[in-house]
Amino acid sequence: MTATPVGTASTLVIAPMLVVLVAAAGTLLLGRHPRARTAVSLAGGAGYAIAVAAIDWYIVLAPDAPGIATYQVGDLPAPFGITLVADGLSAFMLTMVAILGIASLVFSTRHLPGGEGRSYYFPLFHFLALGVTGAFLTGDLFNLFVWFEVMLMASYVFVAYSGGPQHTRAAFWYVTLNLLASAVFLLGVGGIYATTGTLNMADLAQRLAEPAAYGLDPVPVVGLLGLLLSVFAIKAGLVPFQFWIPTAYRAAPPQITALLAGATKKVGIYAIIRLSFTIFAGAEVAVDLPLPLVGVAITGDSPLPFVGAALFVMAAGSILLGGIGAVGRDSMEGVFAYSSIGQVGFIAIPVAIAATAAGPELRTFAIIAALVYALNHTLAKGLLFLAVGTVRSATGTSRFADLGGLAKRSPPLALAVFVGSLALVGIPPLSGFFGKFLVFDAAARAGSGPVLVLLLVGSLLTIAYATRLWNRSFWGARTDAVEAATVDPVQIAILVGLAVAIIAVGIGFEPVYEFAETAAEAALDTEGYVDAVDPQTASELAGSNGGGH
Amino acid sequence: MTTVIMRTTARAIVPIILVVAISLFFDGHNLPGGGFIGGVLTTTAFAIVYMGFGLDFLERGILGRDVDPGKEPSRDRVVLAYRRLFAYGFALAVASGLAPLLFGKPFLTQTFEMLEGVPIYDHLEVASALAFDFGVYCVVVGGLLTILSVVGAE
Repeated sequence: MTATPVGTASTLVIAPMLVVLVAAAGTLLLGRHPRARTAVSLAGGAGYAIAVAAIDWYIVLAPDAPGIATYQVGDLPAPFGITLVADGLSAFMLTMVAILGIASLVFSTRHLPGGEGRSYYFPLFHFLALGVTGAFLTGDLFNLFVWFEVMLMASYVFVAYSGGPQHTRAAFWYVTLNLLASAVFLLGVGGIYATTGTLNMADLAQRLAEPAAYGLDPVPVVGLLGLLLSVFAIKAGLVPFQFWIPTAYRAAPPQITALLAGATKKVGIYAIIRLSFTIFAGAEVAVDLPLPLVGVAITGDSPLPFVGAALFVMAAGSILLGGIGAVGRDSMEGVFAYSSIGQVGFIAIPVAIAATAAGPELRTFAIIAALVYALNHTLAKGLLFLAVGTVRSATGTSRFADLGGLAKRSPPLALAVFVGSLALVGIPPLSGFFGKFLVFDAAARAGSGPVLVLLLVGSLLTIAYATRLWNRSFWGARTDAVEAATVDPVQIAILVGLAVAIIAVGIGFEPVYEFAETAAEAALDTEGYVDAVDPQTASELAGSNGGGH
Repeated sequence: MTTVIMRTTARAIVPIILVVAISLFFDGHNLPGGGFIGGVLTTTAFAIVYMGFGLDFLERGILGRDVDPGKEPSRDRVVLAYRRLFAYGFALAVASGLAPLLFGKPFLTQTFEMLEGVPIYDHLEVASALAFDFGVYCVVVGGLLTILSVVGAE
């Protein structure tokens, strides 16, 4: 077999995963030495940030960057070995997760929930990051399943981490639901393998674009994609798969909830975008789904209109249910958990618009809107969940009944939460403004009146629950818990750092937009993706082997 | 469960299970088997010992240590050893995956060497995959035994 040359750009693709793996192994070995464990953990975080920044620059953003790079694990050629692919979309997602991941990691060194499991906290943290990173980088459908499992294994433990009865109950629900989702995922993957004979994503895209050349009938793929979509919707927490979110988010330690909302949710969104647009968009399938009850007929020559219709319904449900649910909660994390459901709806709406878009221009624009909104949600919701952690470690509670007057007790904390809430609402010049603006603009360009109304209602609900949260916990008379609070300066510094990031994204929006544009173009560039991976056929391989060993 | 029948059966089958586990482990890279299956089978051997002779038997009976019967199971020295096995196994698997990078090959690349003229076996295949598999084996044995002994005690 001819050896694949391993260039710098190529090795970079796997670098973030290797860093996390080594950090996980290091923290496991150093279980009995808390100081060294923390140091290795932080070094791992820094290494991860450097690796992601290097991917961003050398593969995607530099003037002479290739735009996409691949890595064949174990020197086995695609489609037989596992392919890792870093392109604009993966890089954008990784960057988002890296920023929040570092914040959450540093936060964890200051506020580590106690108990027996403490020595496993950092290894698990790195495993969670490993799963998320792998999911963003893999170019193989089955491998995606594996990374989902890695991510879930770590998050199961985190949901049950605090060990109380309500945590165990939340974890039980979470495990049951996700086992079911994994089974459905596996069914979908198996079905796709049976239909197309491959699981390498590039090979899949290639075969679906010319089904006749490969002698396959791609029709079942639409239904199978539907199965996969439902799994990704569970991860993203879209209605009707949102019910696990409030309990799980309340049970996990707040800094992990920040990651669950900011990173693992985005894995669901990423998987929807990657599979629907990069892989399945080119499938030659006539979709004809008359829905006489609502008076719409879904027709088209690829699975995308079907995806779009399903996403519209789920996103609309999420925005309404999340918004209305958030208004009535009695604790900070309850509000933010429901808010996450609503905000994911705001991300899914432009994805749905992209899926049903008539022209490539609107499609690119809508994906940009989704990505920018996702970035804003990661930063803002990450900040807010970390703020819940700060409030909890300072006052011992995060229930509105026991809070009040926090604004005067700790002005920097209040300021950070204020910025985070305004980013959710979408006030200029914060990142949230551009997120909301682009989503509204995409809906206006698509010419969809009902969607605009829906977005408006969702935004009003956001204002309502953000205001209510502010009134209940930051204004008003100081309660005993707030009076006795001791606020950790490092935690505050992290929150302020994230708030500055939100403002910086808003003020220096131009490069962020360009990055998102590169990502959106990469998401839609099926041909470039296939060319970069260059899946071989068995006969080509036999030829290049020249008789083998 | 600690009946005479159970103990006698355990004496007979535990060695057989361990031998089968080891042979499955060595076959892994070419035939069905490998670190995971070998590890799970090894754990079942331990589980049978636990069932037949009780949770403290390993420490008291085999390792000859003194054991306080009422203490926290997760503080057992043998459980700490399982945890270390897990950590070292994981580190070994990661290191064996990283090793090819030193030779300019991608992560997890494997190779093998045929040793000719070995007594009894004639030829013996030495595969680099064995290092990774051994790491997996340790992770599985360490992880499952930790769960088994901690949960089993509760």
